[in-house]
Amino acid sequence: MNAINRNGHDHARDDTAQLPVRARARNLYAYASPNPGNGPAQTPPILPVLARSPRERALRRCLRRLLWAVPVTAGLWLVLTGGGPDSLAFGIPAIALAGALAFATTPATRWRIAPVAAFRFAGWFALQSVLGATDVARRAFRLHLALAPGFCRFPTRLPQGAPRIFFANAISLLPGTLSAEIEGASVIVHSLDLRRNTHAELAALEWRVAALFALAPGTQDSVSHTGGAP
Amino acid sequence: MIDLFTIVMTAAGLIFFAAGTLGLIRFPDTHSRLHALTKADNLGLGLIALGLAVQVPGPADLFKLILIWALAILAAGATAQLVARIAAPAGLGDDEKAQDGGSDGQERRRP
Repeated sequence: MNAINRNGHDHARDDTAQLPVRARARNLYAYASPNPGNGPAQTPPILPVLARSPRERALRRCLRRLLWAVPVTAGLWLVLTGGGPDSLAFGIPAIALAGALAFATTPATRWRIAPVAAFRFAGWFALQSVLGATDVARRAFRLHLALAPGFCRFPTRLPQGAPRIFFANAISLLPGTLSAEIEGASVIVHSLDLRRNTHAELAALEWRVAALFALAPGTQDSVSHTGGAP
Repeated sequence: MIDLFTIVMTAAGLIFFAAGTLGLIRFPDTHSRLHALTKADNLGLGLIALGLAVQVPGPADLFKLILIWALAILAAGATAQLVARIAAPAGLGDDEKAQDGGSDGQERRRP
């Protein structure tokens, strides 16, 4: 229970000038989520003469997702099965189903992945998952189980959808933590050892996920933003 | 040399698989068991895939190995999430409510 942070939102109202740059960046990305209303700015229309309705834009997003999902799932199937005629009897319905699922589950907003942050995240995450596996293996082989398992709640500022789900899934591979449930804006985390400082580790992961989805403004950016902020 | 690498990597992978299974048997509750399964088995599979990757005849098989590993990690993460959600977080909500109620009660008593 020590990991419950109830005053997380109060920081935003504080005088941000007193916070370190990193913390200021964390405060800002909560408001920097991509706005669906800014769609035309991100994807300039091919025919700028015709203004697109939001509904038309949503449909186009679905179609784009479908066009992307079908070749990818077909490629996966071919690599895994070798593409024999027998396998295609199962493969073609499976690919069609995957396409339908992609069409049905198109998220309301589009997310951008920052390439440099993605590489940095991948390296860090690989190391952390090795540490996590070694930690749990060591605990399993020990004669006396050194466990103090329990739950804690971590309120996250990551926006709903892909970033929050990605965050929850990444928690499960970090040393000692496992995401049990997403409840609104909080992730219920199961910890193998509540004596560890779980909250600080989760906050670090949250910051990295925000950087991965290009939600945290760069250091320079955050300084100029906070300079102008009330 | 390449064979030695394969032997070391797959052996290490098997140790992690054994640790995952041991944790599944020994750990006290559902959620702790999930820790052992998701983390140790993912690394075990990764090490075995890495050990076998140097033995493959062509890039197609290498791609297949990587793909199997990536899909297994995704599936393991999703499955762990689903199992964890069904194995209800042992009365966390009740606990919180009780704590909130307690503090409210104290505040009410004060004035």
